[in-house]
Amino acid sequence: MAREKGNGEDFANPLRRLLLGIILFSLLGIFLVWRIDSPRVERFRADVVDSVMPSFDWAMAPVTATVNLFRDFQSYQRIHSQNRELRRELQQMKAWKEAALQLEQENARLRDLNNVRIDPRLTHVTGVVLADSGSPFRQSVLLNVGARDGIMDGWATMDGLGLVGRVSGVGERTSRVILLTDSSSRIPAVIQPSGQRALVAGDNSAAPLLDFIENEAAVRPGDRIVSSGDADVFPPGLLIGQVAEDPQGRLRVRLAADYQRLEFLRVLRNHNARTISGTGALIVPEARPAPEPVAGAERPEARAADPAAEAGGDG
Amino acid sequence: MADTRGFGLWMRRASYLALGLLILFFQLLPLDTGTPRWAPPDLLVALTFAWAVRRPDFVPALSVAAMMLLADLLLQRPPGLLAALVVLGAEWLKRRAPELRDDSFLTEWLSVASVIVVVSLGYRVVLNLLAVAQPPLGLHLMQLLMTMAVYPVVVGICYLFFGLQKPAASDLDTRGIGA
Repeated sequence: MAREKGNGEDFANPLRRLLLGIILFSLLGIFLVWRIDSPRVERFRADVVDSVMPSFDWAMAPVTATVNLFRDFQSYQRIHSQNRELRRELQQMKAWKEAALQLEQENARLRDLNNVRIDPRLTHVTGVVLADSGSPFRQSVLLNVGARDGIMDGWATMDGLGLVGRVSGVGERTSRVILLTDSSSRIPAVIQPSGQRALVAGDNSAAPLLDFIENEAAVRPGDRIVSSGDADVFPPGLLIGQVAEDPQGRLRVRLAADYQRLEFLRVLRNHNARTISGTGALIVPEARPAPEPVAGAERPEARAADPAAEAGGDG
Repeated sequence: MADTRGFGLWMRRASYLALGLLILFFQLLPLDTGTPRWAPPDLLVALTFAWAVRRPDFVPALSVAAMMLLADLLLQRPPGLLAALVVLGAEWLKRRAPELRDDSFLTEWLSVASVIVVVSLGYRVVLNLLAVAQPPLGLHLMQLLMTMAVYPVVVGICYLFFGLQKPAASDLDTRGIGA
Protein backbone atom coordinates (compact mmCIF):
# COMPACT_ATOMS: atom_id res chain seq x y z
CA MET A 1 0.00 0.00 0.00
CA ALA A 2 1.78 3.07 -1.22
CA ARG A 3 -0.97 5.36 -0.11
CA GLU A 4 -0.37 6.93 3.24
CA LYS A 5 -2.91 6.52 5.95
CA GLY A 6 -3.23 8.50 9.11
CA ASN A 7 -0.22 7.85 11.29
CA GLY A 8 -2.46 6.73 14.16
CA GLU A 9 -3.41 3.64 12.24
CA ASP A 10 0.11 2.32 12.22
CA PHE A 11 0.06 1.98 15.97
CA ALA A 12 -3.41 0.54 16.03
CA ASN A 13 -2.95 -1.91 13.20
CA PRO A 14 -1.54 -4.99 14.97
CA LEU A 15 -3.95 -4.50 17.82
CA ARG A 16 -6.83 -4.08 15.43
CA ARG A 17 -5.82 -7.12 13.48
CA LEU A 18 -5.72 -9.12 16.69
CA LEU A 19 -9.19 -7.90 17.63
CA LEU A 20 -10.49 -8.78 14.17
CA GLY A 21 -8.96 -12.23 14.50
CA ILE A 22 -10.61 -12.77 17.86
CA ILE A 23 -13.98 -11.60 16.52
CA LEU A 24 -13.82 -13.86 13.47
CA PHE A 25 -12.60 -16.77 15.54
CA SER A 26 -15.45 -16.49 18.01
CA LEU A 27 -18.10 -16.00 15.30
CA LEU A 28 -16.95 -19.04 13.39
CA GLY A 29 -16.64 -20.87 16.68
CA ILE A 30 -20.29 -20.15 17.44
CA PHE A 31 -21.22 -21.40 13.98
CA LEU A 32 -19.26 -24.63 14.36
CA VAL A 33 -20.63 -25.27 17.84
CA TRP A 34 -24.11 -24.73 16.39
CA ARG A 35 -23.38 -27.25 13.67
CA ILE A 36 -22.08 -29.82 16.15
CA ASP A 37 -24.41 -29.31 19.08
CA SER A 38 -27.35 -27.45 17.66
CA PRO A 39 -29.85 -27.91 20.56
CA ARG A 40 -27.68 -26.04 23.02
CA VAL A 41 -27.09 -23.09 20.69
CA GLU A 42 -30.77 -23.08 19.74
CA ARG A 43 -31.62 -22.81 23.41
CA PHE A 44 -29.23 -19.88 23.61
CA ARG A 45 -31.02 -18.38 20.58
CA ALA A 46 -34.36 -18.82 22.31
CA ASP A 47 -32.98 -17.03 25.35
CA VAL A 48 -31.69 -14.15 23.25
CA VAL A 49 -35.02 -13.84 21.44
CA ASP A 50 -36.73 -14.06 24.78
CA SER A 51 -34.80 -11.12 26.16
CA VAL A 52 -34.85 -8.97 23.02
CA MET A 53 -38.33 -9.39 21.61
CA PRO A 54 -40.49 -8.41 24.61
CA SER A 55 -38.60 -5.11 24.73
CA PHE A 56 -39.61 -4.52 21.10
CA ASP A 57 -43.16 -5.46 21.89
CA TRP A 58 -44.43 -2.09 23.10
CA ALA A 59 -43.49 -0.58 19.75
CA MET A 60 -44.36 -3.53 17.56
CA ALA A 61 -48.04 -3.69 18.38
CA PRO A 62 -48.89 -0.05 17.49
CA VAL A 63 -46.73 -0.02 14.35
CA THR A 64 -48.28 -3.24 13.10
CA ALA A 65 -51.74 -1.91 13.84
CA THR A 66 -51.03 1.34 11.99
CA VAL A 67 -49.71 -0.39 8.89
CA ASN A 68 -52.66 -2.73 8.85
CA LEU A 69 -54.98 0.25 9.23
CA PHE A 70 -53.51 1.82 6.11
CA ARG A 71 -53.84 -1.44 4.25
CA ASP A 72 -57.48 -1.65 5.21
CA PHE A 73 -57.87 1.92 4.08
CA GLN A 74 -56.69 1.01 0.61
CA SER A 75 -59.29 -1.66 0.41
CA TYR A 76 -62.04 0.93 0.90
CA GLN A 77 -61.80 1.65 -2.79
CA ARG A 78 -63.32 -1.69 -3.55
CA ILE A 79 -65.82 -1.48 -0.79
CA HIS A 80 -68.94 -1.27 -2.90
CA SER A 81 -68.36 -4.38 -4.90
CA GLN A 82 -67.17 -6.12 -1.78
CA ASN A 83 -70.33 -5.19 0.01
CA ARG A 84 -72.53 -6.70 -2.65
CA GLU A 85 -70.45 -9.82 -2.68
CA LEU A 86 -70.67 -10.13 1.07
CA ARG A 87 -74.43 -9.77 0.98
CA ARG A 88 -74.72 -12.57 -1.49
CA GLU A 89 -72.44 -14.74 0.59
CA LEU A 90 -74.43 -13.88 3.69
CA GLN A 91 -77.54 -15.25 2.05
CA GLN A 92 -75.82 -18.52 1.37
CA MET A 93 -74.36 -18.60 4.84
CA LYS A 94 -77.78 -18.23 6.41
CA ALA A 95 -78.83 -21.41 4.72
CA TRP A 96 -75.71 -23.12 5.98
CA LYS A 97 -76.22 -21.77 9.45
CA GLU A 98 -79.67 -23.29 9.54
CA ALA A 99 -78.25 -26.62 8.48
CA ALA A 100 -75.46 -26.36 11.02
CA LEU A 101 -77.84 -25.58 13.84
CA GLN A 102 -79.94 -28.59 13.05
CA LEU A 103 -76.87 -30.77 12.87
CA GLU A 104 -75.57 -29.36 16.14
CA GLN A 105 -78.81 -30.17 17.90
CA GLU A 106 -78.85 -33.63 16.46
CA ASN A 107 -75.23 -34.09 17.41
CA ALA A 108 -75.88 -32.97 20.96
CA ARG A 109 -78.81 -35.37 21.25
CA LEU A 110 -76.76 -38.29 19.94
CA ARG A 111 -73.85 -37.40 22.18
CA ASP A 112 -76.15 -37.28 25.12
CA LEU A 113 -77.47 -40.73 24.23
CA ASN A 114 -73.95 -42.10 23.94
CA ASN A 115 -72.67 -40.30 27.01
CA VAL A 116 -69.59 -39.13 25.08
CA ARG A 117 -66.99 -36.90 26.68
CA ILE A 118 -64.77 -34.76 24.45
CA ASP A 119 -61.12 -35.46 25.14
CA PRO A 120 -60.43 -33.31 28.19
CA ARG A 121 -56.68 -33.29 27.63
CA LEU A 122 -57.02 -31.04 24.60
CA THR A 123 -57.20 -27.70 26.35
CA HIS A 124 -55.37 -24.77 24.90
CA VAL A 125 -53.36 -21.65 25.66
CA THR A 126 -53.95 -18.68 23.40
CA GLY A 127 -51.01 -16.54 22.38
CA VAL A 128 -50.56 -13.38 20.33
CA VAL A 129 -48.16 -13.32 17.40
CA LEU A 130 -45.30 -11.01 18.36
CA ALA A 131 -43.12 -11.27 15.30
CA ASP A 132 -42.60 -13.33 12.20
CA SER A 133 -39.33 -14.88 11.13
CA GLY A 134 -38.18 -11.68 9.44
CA SER A 135 -36.58 -13.60 6.62
CA PRO A 136 -38.04 -14.90 3.36
CA PHE A 137 -36.30 -18.24 3.87
CA ARG A 138 -37.93 -19.27 7.11
CA GLN A 139 -41.59 -19.58 7.95
CA SER A 140 -42.15 -19.17 11.64
CA VAL A 141 -43.85 -16.85 14.09
CA LEU A 142 -43.05 -15.87 17.62
CA LEU A 143 -45.79 -16.10 20.27
CA ASN A 144 -45.95 -14.14 23.50
CA VAL A 145 -46.44 -17.26 25.61
CA GLY A 146 -43.56 -19.36 26.81
CA ALA A 147 -42.30 -21.73 29.46
CA ARG A 148 -43.89 -19.71 32.24
CA ASP A 149 -47.28 -20.38 30.63
CA GLY A 150 -46.49 -24.08 30.51
CA ILE A 151 -45.74 -24.24 26.79
CA MET A 152 -43.57 -27.18 25.78
CA ASP A 153 -41.67 -28.08 22.65
CA GLY A 154 -43.62 -30.05 20.08
CA TRP A 155 -47.13 -28.88 20.88
CA ALA A 156 -49.55 -28.23 18.02
CA THR A 157 -50.67 -24.70 17.21
CA MET A 158 -53.94 -23.76 15.49
CA ASP A 159 -55.73 -20.66 14.49
CA GLY A 160 -59.52 -20.74 14.82
CA LEU A 161 -59.92 -23.25 12.01
CA GLY A 162 -56.89 -25.27 11.10
CA LEU A 163 -53.45 -26.39 12.11
CA VAL A 164 -50.77 -23.72 11.82
CA GLY A 165 -47.58 -25.29 13.05
CA ARG A 166 -45.53 -26.83 15.78
CA VAL A 167 -43.85 -25.23 18.75
CA SER A 168 -40.10 -25.45 18.39
CA GLY A 169 -37.99 -23.38 20.70
CA VAL A 170 -39.47 -22.18 23.99
CA GLY A 171 -38.10 -19.29 25.96
CA GLU A 172 -39.29 -18.05 29.31
CA ARG A 173 -41.76 -15.56 27.86
CA THR A 174 -41.84 -16.39 24.14
CA SER A 175 -42.06 -19.46 21.98
CA ARG A 176 -41.42 -20.02 18.30
CA VAL A 177 -43.90 -21.80 16.07
CA ILE A 178 -42.50 -23.43 12.92
CA LEU A 179 -45.29 -23.09 10.35
CA LEU A 180 -46.40 -25.97 8.15
CA THR A 181 -45.05 -24.03 5.17
CA ASP A 182 -41.48 -23.96 6.47
CA SER A 183 -39.16 -26.16 4.46
CA SER A 184 -38.18 -28.14 7.56
CA SER A 185 -41.76 -29.00 8.57
CA ARG A 186 -42.98 -32.60 8.15
CA ILE A 187 -46.35 -33.58 9.64
CA PRO A 188 -47.99 -37.02 9.36
CA ALA A 189 -51.56 -36.72 8.11
CA VAL A 190 -54.56 -38.75 7.01
CA ILE A 191 -56.56 -37.92 3.92
CA GLN A 192 -60.28 -38.41 4.31
CA PRO A 193 -62.43 -40.10 3.17
CA SER A 194 -59.96 -42.53 1.58
CA GLY A 195 -57.92 -42.96 4.77
CA GLN A 196 -54.60 -42.68 2.91
CA ARG A 197 -51.67 -41.68 5.07
CA ALA A 198 -49.28 -39.01 3.89
CA LEU A 199 -46.70 -36.53 5.05
CA VAL A 200 -47.40 -32.82 4.77
CA ALA A 201 -44.02 -31.49 3.75
CA GLY A 202 -43.46 -27.74 3.76
CA ASP A 203 -41.37 -26.32 0.92
CA ASN A 204 -41.42 -22.59 1.60
CA SER A 205 -44.46 -22.09 -0.63
CA ALA A 206 -48.00 -21.25 0.41
CA ALA A 207 -49.22 -24.80 -0.26
CA PRO A 208 -47.11 -27.62 1.26
CA LEU A 209 -46.54 -30.81 -0.69
CA LEU A 210 -48.24 -34.11 0.10
CA ASP A 211 -45.51 -36.68 0.26
CA PHE A 212 -45.40 -40.48 0.65
CA ILE A 213 -48.97 -41.19 -0.36
CA GLU A 214 -49.49 -44.92 -0.77
CA ASN A 215 -52.05 -44.77 -3.51
CA GLU A 216 -52.36 -41.42 -5.24
CA ALA A 217 -55.27 -42.63 -7.33
CA ALA A 218 -57.40 -42.84 -4.20
CA VAL A 219 -56.86 -39.16 -3.42
CA ARG A 220 -58.84 -36.44 -5.12
CA PRO A 221 -58.49 -32.67 -5.00
CA GLY A 222 -60.89 -31.36 -2.38
CA ASP A 223 -60.40 -34.22 0.07
CA ARG A 224 -59.97 -33.21 3.69
CA ILE A 225 -56.58 -33.60 5.34
CA VAL A 226 -56.35 -34.02 9.11
CA SER A 227 -53.43 -34.79 11.38
CA SER A 228 -53.00 -38.51 11.94
CA GLY A 229 -51.46 -38.76 15.39
CA ASP A 230 -48.79 -41.09 14.03
CA ALA A 231 -45.53 -41.07 15.93
CA ASP A 232 -47.21 -39.01 18.65
CA VAL A 233 -46.32 -35.82 16.79
CA PHE A 234 -49.76 -34.27 17.07
CA PRO A 235 -53.08 -35.31 18.52
CA PRO A 236 -55.12 -36.99 15.77
CA GLY A 237 -57.97 -35.33 13.94
CA LEU A 238 -56.82 -31.69 13.75
CA LEU A 239 -57.90 -30.10 10.47
CA ILE A 240 -54.98 -29.22 8.19
CA GLY A 241 -56.64 -28.37 4.90
CA GLN A 242 -57.78 -29.70 1.56
CA VAL A 243 -56.01 -31.56 -1.20
CA ALA A 244 -55.23 -29.50 -4.28
CA GLU A 245 -53.33 -30.31 -7.45
CA ASP A 246 -50.69 -27.95 -8.79
CA PRO A 247 -50.02 -27.40 -12.51
CA GLN A 248 -47.23 -29.99 -12.44
CA GLY A 249 -49.72 -32.58 -11.25
CA ARG A 250 -48.29 -32.90 -7.74
CA LEU A 251 -50.64 -33.03 -4.81
CA ARG A 252 -50.46 -30.14 -2.41
CA VAL A 253 -52.34 -28.94 0.64
CA ARG A 254 -54.54 -25.88 0.58
CA LEU A 255 -54.21 -24.94 4.22
CA ALA A 256 -57.34 -24.26 6.23
CA ALA A 257 -55.69 -21.73 8.53
CA ASP A 258 -55.46 -18.15 7.30
CA TYR A 259 -51.72 -17.77 6.90
CA GLN A 260 -51.87 -14.24 5.55
CA ARG A 261 -52.83 -12.82 8.88
CA LEU A 262 -51.87 -14.86 11.86
CA GLU A 263 -52.77 -12.89 14.95
CA PHE A 264 -54.03 -15.11 17.74
CA LEU A 265 -52.94 -18.72 17.88
CA ARG A 266 -54.04 -21.57 20.11
CA VAL A 267 -51.37 -23.84 21.47
CA LEU A 268 -52.94 -27.21 22.26
CA ARG A 269 -51.75 -28.78 25.50
CA ASN A 270 -50.58 -32.27 24.70
CA HIS A 271 -48.63 -33.98 27.41
CA ASN A 272 -48.35 -37.17 25.39
CA ALA A 273 -46.18 -35.55 22.76
CA ARG A 274 -43.04 -37.52 22.10
CA THR A 275 -39.89 -35.73 23.14
CA ILE A 276 -36.61 -36.63 21.55
CA SER A 277 -34.09 -36.97 24.32
CA GLY A 278 -30.93 -37.97 22.51
CA THR A 279 -29.59 -38.02 18.98
CA GLY A 280 -30.08 -41.78 18.53
CA ALA A 281 -33.69 -41.64 19.63
CA LEU A 282 -34.68 -39.99 16.38
CA ILE A 283 -33.81 -43.07 14.31
CA VAL A 284 -34.20 -46.04 16.67
CA PRO A 285 -37.33 -45.68 18.76
CA GLU A 286 -36.37 -46.15 22.37
CA ALA A 287 -38.38 -48.47 24.61
CA ARG A 288 -41.49 -46.72 25.84
CA PRO A 289 -41.07 -45.74 29.47
CA ALA A 290 -43.48 -48.14 31.21
CA PRO A 291 -46.82 -48.40 29.39
CA GLU A 292 -49.81 -47.03 31.26
CA PRO A 293 -51.35 -49.66 33.54
CA VAL A 294 -54.72 -49.65 31.76
CA ALA A 295 -53.35 -50.15 28.27
CA GLY A 296 -50.61 -52.46 29.47
CA ALA A 297 -52.62 -55.61 28.99
CA GLU A 298 -53.11 -55.24 25.28
CA ARG A 299 -49.89 -53.49 24.31
CA PRO A 300 -47.45 -56.44 24.03
CA GLU A 301 -49.38 -58.22 21.30
CA ALA A 302 -49.72 -55.04 19.30
CA ARG A 303 -46.03 -54.41 19.55
CA ALA A 304 -45.14 -57.97 18.64
CA ALA A 305 -47.33 -57.79 15.57
CA ASP A 306 -45.80 -54.55 14.37
CA PRO A 307 -42.28 -55.65 13.31
CA ALA A 308 -43.71 -58.54 11.36
CA ALA A 309 -46.03 -56.26 9.48
CA GLU A 310 -43.18 -53.89 8.71
CA ALA A 311 -40.89 -56.64 7.51
CA GLY A 312 -43.61 -57.90 5.20
CA GLY A 313 -44.10 -54.42 3.83
CA ASP A 314 -40.43 -53.99 3.05
CA GLY A 315 -40.07 -57.26 1.17
CA MET B 1 -19.81 19.47 9.30
CA ALA B 2 -19.99 16.68 11.81
CA ASP B 3 -17.60 16.43 14.68
CA THR B 4 -15.96 13.10 14.12
CA ARG B 5 -13.84 12.97 17.20
CA GLY B 6 -14.61 11.98 20.76
CA PHE B 7 -18.26 12.24 21.56
CA GLY B 8 -19.36 12.78 17.96
CA LEU B 9 -17.59 9.64 16.83
CA TRP B 10 -19.29 7.55 19.49
CA MET B 11 -22.62 9.09 18.57
CA ARG B 12 -22.09 7.98 14.97
CA ARG B 13 -21.12 4.52 16.07
CA ALA B 14 -24.23 4.33 18.20
CA SER B 15 -26.36 5.57 15.32
CA TYR B 16 -25.16 2.66 13.18
CA LEU B 17 -26.34 0.26 15.86
CA ALA B 18 -29.63 2.12 16.24
CA LEU B 19 -30.24 2.03 12.47
CA GLY B 20 -29.48 -1.67 12.42
CA LEU B 21 -31.94 -2.33 15.23
CA LEU B 22 -34.58 -0.28 13.42
CA ILE B 23 -34.13 -2.39 10.28
CA LEU B 24 -34.39 -5.60 12.29
CA PHE B 25 -37.47 -4.28 14.03
CA PHE B 26 -39.27 -3.63 10.75
CA GLN B 27 -38.22 -6.98 9.34
CA LEU B 28 -39.68 -8.74 12.34
CA LEU B 29 -43.06 -7.00 12.28
CA PRO B 30 -45.69 -9.66 11.70
CA LEU B 31 -47.30 -7.79 8.82
CA ASP B 32 -47.47 -10.55 6.29
CA THR B 33 -47.10 -14.02 7.71
CA GLY B 34 -47.82 -15.72 4.40
CA THR B 35 -45.07 -17.17 2.29
CA PRO B 36 -43.39 -14.51 0.16
CA ARG B 37 -43.03 -14.85 -3.59
CA TRP B 38 -40.01 -12.60 -3.66
CA ALA B 39 -37.14 -11.90 -1.35
CA PRO B 40 -36.64 -8.38 -0.04
CA PRO B 41 -33.09 -6.97 -0.01
CA ASP B 42 -30.89 -7.54 2.98
CA LEU B 43 -30.86 -3.94 4.14
CA LEU B 44 -28.62 -4.60 7.09
CA VAL B 45 -25.80 -5.86 4.87
CA ALA B 46 -26.23 -2.95 2.46
CA LEU B 47 -26.16 -0.48 5.36
CA THR B 48 -23.06 -2.06 6.87
CA PHE B 49 -21.15 -2.01 3.61
CA ALA B 50 -22.21 1.53 2.79
CA TRP B 51 -20.92 2.78 6.12
CA ALA B 52 -17.77 0.67 5.84
CA VAL B 53 -16.89 2.22 2.50
CA ARG B 54 -17.81 5.77 3.34
CA ARG B 55 -16.94 6.18 6.98
CA PRO B 56 -14.84 3.21 8.11
CA ASP B 57 -14.33 4.64 11.57
CA PHE B 58 -18.07 4.67 12.30
CA VAL B 59 -18.40 0.91 11.97
CA PRO B 60 -15.69 -0.83 14.00
CA ALA B 61 -15.50 -4.57 13.46
CA LEU B 62 -16.89 -5.20 16.91
CA SER B 63 -20.17 -3.38 16.30
CA VAL B 64 -20.59 -5.00 12.87
CA ALA B 65 -20.04 -8.39 14.49
CA ALA B 66 -22.48 -7.68 17.30
CA MET B 67 -25.15 -6.37 14.94
CA MET B 68 -24.87 -9.24 12.47
CA LEU B 69 -24.76 -11.87 15.19
CA LEU B 70 -27.93 -10.46 16.69
CA ALA B 71 -29.52 -10.51 13.24
CA ASP B 72 -28.41 -14.13 12.76
CA LEU B 73 -29.99 -15.09 16.04
CA LEU B 74 -33.24 -13.19 15.55
CA LEU B 75 -33.76 -14.13 11.90
CA GLN B 76 -33.24 -17.87 12.47
CA ARG B 77 -30.09 -18.08 10.41
CA PRO B 78 -27.21 -20.36 11.31
CA PRO B 79 -25.60 -18.15 13.97
CA GLY B 80 -22.18 -16.69 13.32
CA LEU B 81 -21.46 -17.66 9.74
CA LEU B 82 -22.98 -14.74 7.88
CA ALA B 83 -21.76 -12.45 10.65
CA ALA B 84 -18.17 -13.61 10.16
CA LEU B 85 -18.42 -13.21 6.38
CA VAL B 86 -19.90 -9.73 6.62
CA VAL B 87 -17.22 -8.66 9.10
CA LEU B 88 -14.58 -9.89 6.66
CA GLY B 89 -16.27 -8.12 3.74
CA ALA B 90 -16.58 -4.90 5.70
CA GLU B 91 -12.92 -5.04 6.71
CA TRP B 92 -11.90 -5.53 3.10
CA LEU B 93 -14.01 -2.57 2.04
CA LYS B 94 -12.55 -0.46 4.82
CA ARG B 95 -9.07 -1.22 3.59
CA ARG B 96 -10.10 -0.20 0.09
CA ALA B 97 -11.87 2.90 1.34
CA PRO B 98 -8.93 5.33 0.88
CA GLU B 99 -8.63 4.31 -2.77
CA LEU B 100 -12.35 4.44 -3.40
CA ARG B 101 -12.56 7.88 -1.86
CA ASP B 102 -11.39 9.59 -5.03
CA ASP B 103 -13.22 7.33 -7.46
CA SER B 104 -16.68 7.70 -8.90
CA PHE B 105 -19.77 6.28 -7.26
CA LEU B 106 -19.95 3.60 -9.92
CA THR B 107 -16.64 2.13 -8.82
CA GLU B 108 -17.77 2.14 -5.23
CA TRP B 109 -21.02 0.44 -6.19
CA LEU B 110 -19.21 -2.20 -8.22
CA SER B 111 -16.77 -3.06 -5.46
CA VAL B 112 -19.56 -3.26 -2.89
CA ALA B 113 -21.58 -5.44 -5.27
CA SER B 114 -18.66 -7.78 -5.74
CA VAL B 115 -18.20 -8.08 -1.99
CA ILE B 116 -21.90 -8.87 -1.62
CA VAL B 117 -21.59 -11.59 -4.26
CA VAL B 118 -18.53 -13.09 -2.61
CA VAL B 119 -20.17 -13.04 0.83
CA SER B 120 -23.35 -14.73 -0.43
CA LEU B 121 -21.39 -17.27 -2.41
CA GLY B 122 -19.18 -18.06 0.56
CA TYR B 123 -22.25 -18.40 2.76
CA ARG B 124 -23.86 -20.94 0.47
CA VAL B 125 -20.64 -22.86 -0.15
CA VAL B 126 -19.89 -23.24 3.56
CA LEU B 127 -23.47 -24.29 4.30
CA ASN B 128 -23.25 -26.81 1.47
CA LEU B 129 -19.97 -28.22 2.74
CA LEU B 130 -21.41 -28.69 6.20
CA ALA B 131 -24.66 -30.14 4.82
CA VAL B 132 -26.94 -27.55 6.41
CA ALA B 133 -30.43 -27.32 4.91
CA GLN B 134 -30.55 -24.28 2.66
CA PRO B 135 -33.16 -21.91 1.32
CA PRO B 136 -33.96 -22.28 -2.39
CA LEU B 137 -31.29 -20.89 -4.68
CA GLY B 138 -33.71 -18.73 -6.67
CA LEU B 139 -34.87 -16.85 -3.60
CA HIS B 140 -31.31 -16.34 -2.50
CA LEU B 141 -30.23 -15.02 -5.89
CA MET B 142 -33.16 -12.65 -5.86
CA GLN B 143 -32.12 -11.34 -2.48
CA LEU B 144 -28.57 -10.92 -3.73
CA LEU B 145 -29.68 -8.85 -6.72
CA MET B 146 -32.09 -6.80 -4.63
CA THR B 147 -29.36 -6.03 -2.12
CA MET B 148 -27.07 -4.82 -4.88
CA ALA B 149 -29.86 -2.78 -6.41
CA VAL B 150 -30.86 -1.16 -3.15
CA TYR B 151 -27.32 -0.07 -2.28
CA PRO B 152 -27.51 3.37 -3.97
CA VAL B 153 -30.81 4.02 -2.18
CA VAL B 154 -29.29 3.15 1.18
CA VAL B 155 -26.34 5.41 0.45
CA GLY B 156 -28.68 8.21 -0.64
CA ILE B 157 -30.77 7.98 2.52
CA CYS B 158 -27.71 7.84 4.75
CA TYR B 159 -26.27 10.81 2.88
CA LEU B 160 -29.44 12.87 3.28
CA PHE B 161 -30.31 12.07 6.86
CA PHE B 162 -27.04 11.12 8.47
CA GLY B 163 -24.58 13.22 6.45
CA LEU B 164 -22.74 10.10 5.39
CA GLN B 165 -20.47 11.63 2.81
CA LYS B 166 -17.02 10.51 1.94
CA PRO B 167 -14.61 12.39 4.17
CA ALA B 168 -13.00 15.38 2.52
CA ALA B 169 -9.23 15.61 2.45
CA SER B 170 -9.29 18.09 5.32
CA ASP B 171 -10.97 15.51 7.56
CA LEU B 172 -8.26 13.00 7.09
CA ASP B 173 -5.77 13.96 9.74
CA THR B 174 -8.35 14.21 12.46
CA ARG B 175 -9.88 10.95 11.39
CA GLY B 176 -6.71 8.96 11.69
CA ILE B 177 -6.36 9.80 15.34
CA GLY B 178 -9.95 9.20 16.12
CA ALA B 179 -10.01 5.76 14.59
